[in-house]
Amino acid sequence: MANAKQQRQRLLYLHAQKPSIRADVVGAALHEPIAGLVTEVDPEAVDLPYETVHAAMVDGWRVVHFPDQRGHFEDREIDVIGYEFILEKIEVYDE
Amino acid sequence: MSDAVAIEEETLLTDAELLGFIAQGYHLIEPELPAGFHETICEQIDALESNPGNDILARVPMLQQVYDHPQVRGALVSLLGEDLQMDGHRHLHVNVPGSRSQGWHQDGTNVRHHQTWCVLAIYYPHDVPADLGPTIIMPGTHFRNTPTDQLATYANLKGQVPLTVKAGTIAITHYDLWHAATRNKSKRERYMLKFLFNRMNQPTAPSWNFDAATAEDTARSYLSTMVGGQGYSSDYYKEWELRKEMWQWFKGEQVDVPPGEFRNMLS
Repeated sequence: MANAKQQRQRLLYLHAQKPSIRADVVGAALHEPIAGLVTEVDPEAVDLPYETVHAAMVDGWRVVHFPDQRGHFEDREIDVIGYEFILEKIEVYDE
Repeated sequence: MSDAVAIEEETLLTDAELLGFIAQGYHLIEPELPAGFHETICEQIDALESNPGNDILARVPMLQQVYDHPQVRGALVSLLGEDLQMDGHRHLHVNVPGSRSQGWHQDGTNVRHHQTWCVLAIYYPHDVPADLGPTIIMPGTHFRNTPTDQLATYANLKGQVPLTVKAGTIAITHYDLWHAATRNKSKRERYMLKFLFNRMNQPTAPSWNFDAATAEDTARSYLSTMVGGQGYSSDYYKEWELRKEMWQWFKGEQVDVPPGEFRNMLS
């Protein structure tokens, strides 16, 4: 149906240094629900969109996935960077 | 092919440079080559009818002069020892206009050892501004043992470094360093020559300009430096230990806790 207004889910992956919503964000990926739009590593990105997950919540983002505090633990090795939070905003799109 | 050639001591890395490589996982060199050298390489690449894969060195023999340059050789010997060898695999990476960025990845499979047995030596024959799809790297990630699939939800990372470099720059990176090509927003192709170099033997002594009088003082600051956006985290302290082990290994010393073993905190 052409020009129909739709509610769509925007997703924001924030990787925080610790599994706390107050911890510094060290990685971010924003996924817009628009056909053909991709999320990329951007060499011209200056700052991440939020300094903490809490700051994103204050801006209206809703956390839909929390990291597991008792996740994989390796006493010596290090692997991924940060703890993954996934946040959403539901917005109306008119394409 | 053995690549053993005489090395002038002043071309070897200093302790600070080698320790910088341990902490960051990369080292940049801007060797001086004759005027027009890089432009000629670009012209020879322009003239290729197709990507020759591993035959790029035979098709553009001038590339050998880049990797034989004393500054480049000095850095490679410092990191891999005098009997290092150029790997048979090499590739011309052409980032075309309108490309999409790659996802973050580590090359190879996950047999990470926190030593330095292989480096990439990537050469850019022309300036690489931010809109030309520079390679992007994440300092310190050569210590991370991470299946590339697990990097799929990352985009921008705090502390990422785009290799926006001038023509002729060589970036020597640890084989395990996270990296990606980025979108080429320009109307020109971006060339990058990737060559690999291998260490053939365990280090038994420093192969760089090691200064016994000051090296450990220099090491103290580099081994504890914060890289990327890590702050005071558990990973920061573990990475500090892994750097220390790599430093011991480079010096040819017995590593306190070899890879695969665990520290006994009570001993």
